[in-house]
Amino acid sequence: MEEMKLSRRRFCQVTGSGIVMAPLLMRAQNHSSSSLTARGVVARIKEKVGVPWRTPTADEFKIGDPDAPITGITTTFMSTLDLLQRSIAAGNNFVITHEPKFWSAADVVSDVRYDPLYNHKVNFVEKNKMVVWRFHDHWHAHRPDGIFAGWNKIMGWENYASPAVNPFSHEYVIPETSLEELARDMQTKLKTRSMRLVGDPKLRVTKLVHAGHYIQQCMQALPNVDVLIVFECREWEAAEYMRDAIASGQKKALIQLPHEGGEEAGMEECARWLRTFVTEVPIGFIPSGDPFWMPA
Amino acid sequence: MISSQQLIEQIQKNVEVPWQSQRSDGFSDGILFGSGETTVTGIVTTFTPTLEVLRKAVSSGKNVVICREAPSYSRGERAPAFWRNGPAPSKDLLDNDAVWRAKQEFISRNNLVIIRFFDNWDARKTDGQLRGLSCALGWNSFHVAPGSGEDAYDPRNVYFRLPTTSLSSFAEGIKRKLNVHGVRVIGKPEAKVSKVALTHGLLLVADAERILRELGLDVVITGDAVEWEAGPYFQDLVTAGRAKGLVLLGDEASEEPGSGEMAEWLKGFVSEVPIEWMPAGEPFWTLPQAG
Repeated sequence: MEEMKLSRRRFCQVTGSGIVMAPLLMRAQNHSSSSLTARGVVARIKEKVGVPWRTPTADEFKIGDPDAPITGITTTFMSTLDLLQRSIAAGNNFVITHEPKFWSAADVVSDVRYDPLYNHKVNFVEKNKMVVWRFHDHWHAHRPDGIFAGWNKIMGWENYASPAVNPFSHEYVIPETSLEELARDMQTKLKTRSMRLVGDPKLRVTKLVHAGHYIQQCMQALPNVDVLIVFECREWEAAEYMRDAIASGQKKALIQLPHEGGEEAGMEECARWLRTFVTEVPIGFIPSGDPFWMPA
Repeated sequence: MISSQQLIEQIQKNVEVPWQSQRSDGFSDGILFGSGETTVTGIVTTFTPTLEVLRKAVSSGKNVVICREAPSYSRGERAPAFWRNGPAPSKDLLDNDAVWRAKQEFISRNNLVIIRFFDNWDARKTDGQLRGLSCALGWNSFHVAPGSGEDAYDPRNVYFRLPTTSLSSFAEGIKRKLNVHGVRVIGKPEAKVSKVALTHGLLLVADAERILRELGLDVVITGDAVEWEAGPYFQDLVTAGRAKGLVLLGDEASEEPGSGEMAEWLKGFVSEVPIEWMPAGEPFWTLPQAG
């Protein structure tokens, strides 16, 4: 999910009503490798992230003992069961995930407590003495937004941020190309398999924006750009809006990415950032990857 | 002669369940745009009233469009649940939006009546969306239904048993049959699949849990899934060996055949005017897959 001021309050309400988290105890850290804990890493993140810690927040321990020693850190976009297995195979028992672990925005465990799949996932975590912590709100709040810093880097677009706008607005002016060429470049660099497009493949494009997840963001952004980039946007919003924009004569296009395609690179950026102040254990970015493939 | 209000009354009489019209948040079934006094010249059913569909309706002489999704890119919710979708754009934003202004002007200039018919259509004893989609896939003979005739497409009868094939061939077959590009799949392409559940629209985790109580189920087919909800839920099911996969057709592809079904249903009691199903078509195109 992208940071969005208006909805944040609602999100926190949902978080608050979901599960009861152990209170996060701030305490001085002993920086020796044998005793580094997940809680110790999180305390350092709080010191370094550069914004006041919000409460409530989605950025909490989701499962596991935060005070147990850690063997290594995996950063990832989505803590799927497959990702947890790969993290253990890589020797890392602490997973920092951008998105939820139990299939809802606020990890509302009460809804899935009796689901055998929930127990399966919990058992795997407990058996392997793993800890999972979510790093969403504050990584977006970091300046620059850590998720988009990673995206700009993987696309090679760090120098294309539009000078006309606020440096954190995620607008770009790229060398002119066609929609199809742009989409191919993005598909390759983001290693995405499930990109979907609206618009003329030959349309010449240069101004782009990350338009977020929602229709009102798309409406606000469209007048200034050729292409809206969205992910995790319901199909009755941006795609229908874009085809009417085109039908009414506007020369515009939409690129709809899988959610990972838009945000996963930001967790690689997170691993790079963590290495600047966590040196006792190995830190690896493990992509959870595009969940989808498309049939031939 | 029939007015759009009389048309709605005819629908209410024939829907055979108590009309439940008002949602606490979001659009309700009924007239979204236009007047109840307008004389109906012809009826179009469609999944979503795109500007293209509205133009085709007008050029074929029809002024009433019955749809599932509203024309304004939103379900009208002020406070959508759990960040799954956005809130409805404000009036100020809509009034200043060039795309919406063009569409609204077209609707007004042509005196169109746009009727939402979603919740009550879905409340019927027969799931018209499921029946439409099953027929479009040619799956009637594979339906595992305890009832028959009118009861066969009870909304709970979502299970089908097909000749065993690989998940990739299965998904390719669906893609060809429905002629859509944006089909997305979770699961191992080589997994053998036979027993499937067919649903439509946006699949939530609670729906998936209920559907998966059926033993021996390999795959669930639906329109769309929230990528932090049912998406990773199915990834985890596959990793845990509890299911073979999820096939997402796209909302439009999964719901559009139901609008065809709706047109046929309307013809059963509306004889005054022509009725035509106009598919909106899939909004997306896709690149060839990288190797």
